[in-house]
Amino acid sequence: MMEAKNSLQGQKVGAPDKALAASLTDATVRFGTFTAIDGLNLDIEEGAFYTILGPSGCGKSTMLRLVSDLIPAAAGDVSIFGKTTEQARLAREFAFVFQDATLLPWRSALKNVELPLEIGAKRGVDVPLGSRTPRELLELVGLKGREDALPHELSGGMRQRVAIARALVCQPKLLLMDEPFGALDEMTRDHLNLQLLDIWRETGTTILFVTHSIAEAVFLGQKVIMMRAHPGRLREVVDIDLPEPRTIKQRDQQEFTAYCGYLRDLLETC
Amino acid sequence: MAVAENITMPDLEAAERAEARRRKIVSTAVPLGTAAALILLWQLGVKAFGVPTYVAPAPSDVAVAFVEKFDILLMNFWPTLMESVAGFAVGNIVAILIAVAFVHSRHVTMAFFPIAVFINTIPILAIAPILVLIFGPGITAKIVIAALICFFPTLVNMVRGLQAISPQALELSRILSASKSEVFWKMRLPASLPFLFSALKISATTSVIGAIVGEWVGADLGLGALIIDATFNFNSPLLYATVFMSSGLSVLMFALVTLAEKLIIRW
Repeated sequence: MMEAKNSLQGQKVGAPDKALAASLTDATVRFGTFTAIDGLNLDIEEGAFYTILGPSGCGKSTMLRLVSDLIPAAAGDVSIFGKTTEQARLAREFAFVFQDATLLPWRSALKNVELPLEIGAKRGVDVPLGSRTPRELLELVGLKGREDALPHELSGGMRQRVAIARALVCQPKLLLMDEPFGALDEMTRDHLNLQLLDIWRETGTTILFVTHSIAEAVFLGQKVIMMRAHPGRLREVVDIDLPEPRTIKQRDQQEFTAYCGYLRDLLETC
Repeated sequence: MAVAENITMPDLEAAERAEARRRKIVSTAVPLGTAAALILLWQLGVKAFGVPTYVAPAPSDVAVAFVEKFDILLMNFWPTLMESVAGFAVGNIVAILIAVAFVHSRHVTMAFFPIAVFINTIPILAIAPILVLIFGPGITAKIVIAALICFFPTLVNMVRGLQAISPQALELSRILSASKSEVFWKMRLPASLPFLFSALKISATTSVIGAIVGEWVGADLGLGALIIDATFNFNSPLLYATVFMSSGLSVLMFALVTLAEKLIIRW
């Protein structure tokens, strides 16, 4: 059962026949003399849900920032749907959900979701319109009726759901999430995990989801990307072969806990 | 459970509202009562010790002067109001524009910030005669003095406000490929408003001080001129009445800014 796909440094993982959402080749990120990511090779298949685990300092967040063109690669190559990260950013191919909801506090929930549509609109940028309106997206994340609420009137979980709706408004093909539920209580987290899986199934978007929680990584991910620290490198990509759709109940089952145990052992040797 | 909640909720809410109302009444009544008591003490003290009116008038004398000389007070009120409001507007607009320039260019900050600090260190009483010499005895000098006194707090607060945007919000703007002007209008400027309003509340009252100081140096009209006039004529009741009028002007300006803040900043 634990036939994890092993990846060696310099050797590509993932089936080559499937379309790739993102592809990293020998990607290296340096901050001054500090190497945050060292020669990362990784293929992200389109439509899959990836979770990213690793000890702190392994470059999980850095990897998302590299893919989203927030920081440049010192060496190597990153492509997203065959484009450079900059081209993909300009075409709004991806969206980012931060650990903190990062809503603009003076804007209502609806106005926050509409923000990506406003940016560039007056400069003649061709802003991709999603198939869902901002109102429909708020309904999708379960915030119907709270459109006019200001962020400070919403709970932490609700704010994060507004942030997810905002990320979906341009219908991104790749959704990057940096510990989006890390600051929430467990009940809210479970609820949002299920909701996120629904959204993923419904939109068919590719998701890269950074987390600290092994259980969350196994529960959400079809594949868990395990990284190692100092410098940040790929350790292993583990296929999570659990029945879909995932349910909270699965977490008590032996299969689930076996995956968790396997990942915990991996994490300790990272 | 749900039914029980429905029954008890309105009662609880009503009780809470009544409690809030009671607290509000107490919080208004206590300072008002204290002020009234102090005024009474002043009245009794002046009368009991037979203090001459020109040294310290009794509140009743001030009240009489206020009513009898109300036309003179009002005549001198308008110029000061105009100078304060104009100085407030000019000083703050210039401060906001310079703050925007500071935030956009480190070179501009480097060149001009020390000068702004230096100007701020000159006591307003020292610079007022210079400005009256430059701009003449008309209304312009008073407006410039009022503007100058408003300028610095707003500059400093506005620079802080425009930089008050979180690193993650900047990352968001980068991911959305926002232009510099979009970041400014949609993020930096709204984020700066709470900072701007705390500065505006300061300058709402200091602009009145600026206008009055300007009138002291040279004017025949205005609350500042009336203060000088009443002092030299030992007309203490009128002097006190003028002081209350000036403080009323400050309170009015402050209240208007506070009202604007409540209407604009709802987050």
